[in-house]
Amino acid sequence: MKKKSIGQFLSESREASLVIVLAVLLIVVGIINPSFLSFTNIRQIFLNNTLTFIMALGMLCVMLTAGIDISITSTLAFAGMSIGLLQKYNVLHNTFLLFVIGALIGVVCGFLNGIIIAKGHVAPIICTMGFMYIWRGMAYVISNNNWASGMDVAGFSDFGKDGAPGPYIILILAYIIFFIVMKWTRFGRRIYAVGSNTEAAQVSGINVDRTLTSVYTIMGFLAGLAGVLSVSIYASAQPNMQYGKEMDVIAACVIGGVSMSGGRGSVAGTFLGALIIGIISKALPMVNIPNFWQNLIKGVIILAVVVLNVVTQRTMDRQNLLRREM
Amino acid sequence: MAGKSGREISAVPEGGIKSKLLSWEGALVLILIGVNILGVAISPNYNVNNVLREMPRYLAEIFMMFGMGYILVLGDIDISVGALVCLAGTVTVLSSNAGAPFIVAVIICLGVGLLGGMLNGFIATRFTELPTMIVTLGTQIIFRGIAEVLFETWGNGGGTASMADTKGLMLLAKKLGPFPIAFFCVIIVGVIMIVVLAKTTFGRKLYAIGSNKTAAYYAGIKVERIRFICYSLLGFLSGLCALFLLTATFGSNTTTGQGFEMEVIAMCVFGGIATTGGKGNLTGAFIAAFIIVCLRIALGQRNINTQVILVIIGLMLIISVLVPSISSAITARKKRA
Amino acid sequence: MKKKVLSVLLASAMVASVLAGCGSSAADTAAPAADAAAEEAAPAEEAAPAEEAAPAEEAATEAAVDTAAADSAAPAADASGSTYALVTKSAGNPFMERMASGFQEAVEAQGGTVVIQNPEAATPDAQISVIQSLISQGVSSIAVDGNDANALTAVLTEAKDAGIKILTLDSDVAPDTRTVYCNQAGVQQIGETLMEAVYDLTGGEGDWAILSATSQATNQNAWIDAMKKLMESDSKYAKLNLVEVAYGDDEPQKSTDQTQALLQNYPDLKVICAPTTVGIAAAAKVLQDQKSTVKLTGLGLPSEMAEYIGDDDAHSCPYMYLWNPIDLGRLAGYTSIALVDGTITGAAGDKFTAGDLGDYTIEEIDGSTQIILGPPFKFDPSNIDEWKSVY
Repeated sequence: MKKKSIGQFLSESREASLVIVLAVLLIVVGIINPSFLSFTNIRQIFLNNTLTFIMALGMLCVMLTAGIDISITSTLAFAGMSIGLLQKYNVLHNTFLLFVIGALIGVVCGFLNGIIIAKGHVAPIICTMGFMYIWRGMAYVISNNNWASGMDVAGFSDFGKDGAPGPYIILILAYIIFFIVMKWTRFGRRIYAVGSNTEAAQVSGINVDRTLTSVYTIMGFLAGLAGVLSVSIYASAQPNMQYGKEMDVIAACVIGGVSMSGGRGSVAGTFLGALIIGIISKALPMVNIPNFWQNLIKGVIILAVVVLNVVTQRTMDRQNLLRREM
Repeated sequence: MAGKSGREISAVPEGGIKSKLLSWEGALVLILIGVNILGVAISPNYNVNNVLREMPRYLAEIFMMFGMGYILVLGDIDISVGALVCLAGTVTVLSSNAGAPFIVAVIICLGVGLLGGMLNGFIATRFTELPTMIVTLGTQIIFRGIAEVLFETWGNGGGTASMADTKGLMLLAKKLGPFPIAFFCVIIVGVIMIVVLAKTTFGRKLYAIGSNKTAAYYAGIKVERIRFICYSLLGFLSGLCALFLLTATFGSNTTTGQGFEMEVIAMCVFGGIATTGGKGNLTGAFIAAFIIVCLRIALGQRNINTQVILVIIGLMLIISVLVPSISSAITARKKRA
Repeated sequence: MKKKVLSVLLASAMVASVLAGCGSSAADTAAPAADAAAEEAAPAEEAAPAEEAAPAEEAATEAAVDTAAADSAAPAADASGSTYALVTKSAGNPFMERMASGFQEAVEAQGGTVVIQNPEAATPDAQISVIQSLISQGVSSIAVDGNDANALTAVLTEAKDAGIKILTLDSDVAPDTRTVYCNQAGVQQIGETLMEAVYDLTGGEGDWAILSATSQATNQNAWIDAMKKLMESDSKYAKLNLVEVAYGDDEPQKSTDQTQALLQNYPDLKVICAPTTVGIAAAAKVLQDQKSTVKLTGLGLPSEMAEYIGDDDAHSCPYMYLWNPIDLGRLAGYTSIALVDGTITGAAGDKFTAGDLGDYTIEEIDGSTQIILGPPFKFDPSNIDEWKSVY
């Protein structure tokens, strides 16, 4: 067997090229500011981006079916605001129950998306755009111009305190479960099948409608969960929370190599994509770049990584072709 | 026939007044009338003068809607336009303050829009594997990022800049009778865009690409060139939007144009254009745009909570896209019975 | 034929759902002419289930508005017959909510009708739409909390030409587009107060940093500039070293990232000063969770900050400042009434009585006419419990 050159190895695995991007980012930032590589800092990258990490998993499933969900942060705000208000008005203070309620609200929101997309044959971006307006508006309406603040969520916010294990456990559990489900279960394979070729999946006996509905319901569940976590981590519930952050989640997936036309993407890639997004937002304030340059740099990095993905893919295809010809 | 009817309500074949009424556009006209009746009913101040006076800020968005319609018919999407409006407006204000005459500032405004659109088009056609949503997500952050840098490095900082010489803008904000100039411009641009899409070969090609890109390619249509043109066109119209927005704000800041992209896409979709491409027309979108504008003005005059208005628009959007499914389900049940 | 019926039905269903929206969230104004329309729409309410979730409180406050307006019709109060509008920065902000309640209380006590408009987002674009709508409604005065210093110029000039009195509160706009600015506290005063707090908490020397909102926030920038000037001009502050002005964009996540970066970049940091309500709460949580020795001060809402205020090491913020948003709203309410009935014209030297707030005089500061509410109020462990439930 011929020994592979490093170049070949890199261009053959998308994850490997992402690891390289990650390493370059870490080294550059680490040289400018060595404290970036400290344990505390790396731990905080995960804590501050728990929401992106968790919602990226749902987005992975949605995008595998060639769909998209831009209503997630509105669902997050609605669920988060609801459980924040439950505490503010002293209805409920049990952390576990609050998690259940928040996640259930998310499930309902997600299920509505799923049923309309699957049964009504509505384009996912349009359906979720409608709900983006609706749930965000509802979050404002129920808040009645109030926030649930630090003292309202006092006991509850201990769960997401910097240093508390809660968010990390949820994060690790979520990734382990999804890794197993997507790789080794029938349900996981069904999602890939629906995304790769809907007709073929239908013919081979997969209930496409049910798969689609469950995918969006899972997304909603994770968004609701993220809403509860958000209230816990930031000790505050505001109707405009995480506004516009759905794009970060989508970007994380795409950077991680998830295809928007469905059928291609992995949990590992999603993890790396979310990590890159997290590192960018954490690193920019630490490398002494003036504030007003930060968005421009973020945009350029995202676009560069995405284009790099395409170039890698093209090289891979070309090499596969060459090998076949030989 | 691809592209003719916006959204199917019935299976009646085309032709005659009857089918016109039954088309999605017919329903939209009815809704527009309904919204205006509603406006008069709920607000004592809902009259022609007030509606036309409140309209210019929304009219600016309609320019962009036409370009977005083309992009959606192609089966693409562009979410960078709101940020592009911000960038074009910012460069215009800053260059005018640096001494550029108004006419030069106008050209700069449209030019920046065009360039931004061309950049989108270039990336989207060069890396066809990339979903356009991701390309324009990247450029969205970049456009706003450039504007933010310009405020600090070229302007006076603070993330905001206002035009010192507003004479030219005042001229553009003038009214002919009760009608603002922007109103006539929207009508003119709208008619041209509608006719080009519906009646020319160029328009036909858009539908062909939107329905089946590969087939269109093999039929000899220069797919990527047409996509590039459409992105550039949308960029140019974003510049136009920025210009008319300036007549209302006399300045630009980092939040300018925030969320415009979604509002514009919502107008198109409500008007019957499918985001999957190849379906719908701009007449419907044009009527839909006025429905949303009139509705916002009417509810605004009744001092309805602004967030409730968004909920209503979201509901309308979802109901409108569910219409074909519901009507076909009803037809199916009738047939069985 | 049946299909035609269907399309008409669908069209009317949409209109009905819109009508239902109006019915359930009947507006803040008590315009009697429109009430009939709202009642007509009531039966259609079932058509739009989502709107029914509108909270009961809202309905309750609206009912209160209606009765207040009805009462006002009888006695000959000096503000009756006029409508006074308040445009806040955006919906979903408790500071704005308290300000609005103060405004409403002051105006209704005089028998006026109140319109409160919360724009959908904290942008000048959204405020323009709202102000345009108020011009159509022919209100007597508009009090604006500007989202941008200059972008509202055109629309406010239009309002002025329509005979509407314009004033600003909290955040000012270009001075020639409004009559008077109700300032919560002088810029210089806030700068001095915060600088003094930093001096006290650092012990007179060492590194400190500022965590602000966005780089374009007019208020925050003015205060930060005032603080910088003080540091240059007063030798008392010579040993203080301002290491960085960070911007958290008033987002909890970004403010958290920025605070953590400050802690990591400057190990000798002693104090963070955050003159923004979102930023200070996010920073307080970071410092308290990390059990950092860095202390925090700035401007914050007591209800948001109650958790973090305390003198011991377990709390991150020994004390902070803010003004009373309810009083600010009331001041703007009284000023609106005085402007409309002609007691004041907005010229420097004009005097008027703002109810139980006392007498105020319009002052000319830096070439613009202002009414200053009073010095910022200090919140420390001794009084935080009494204020945390107020605002």
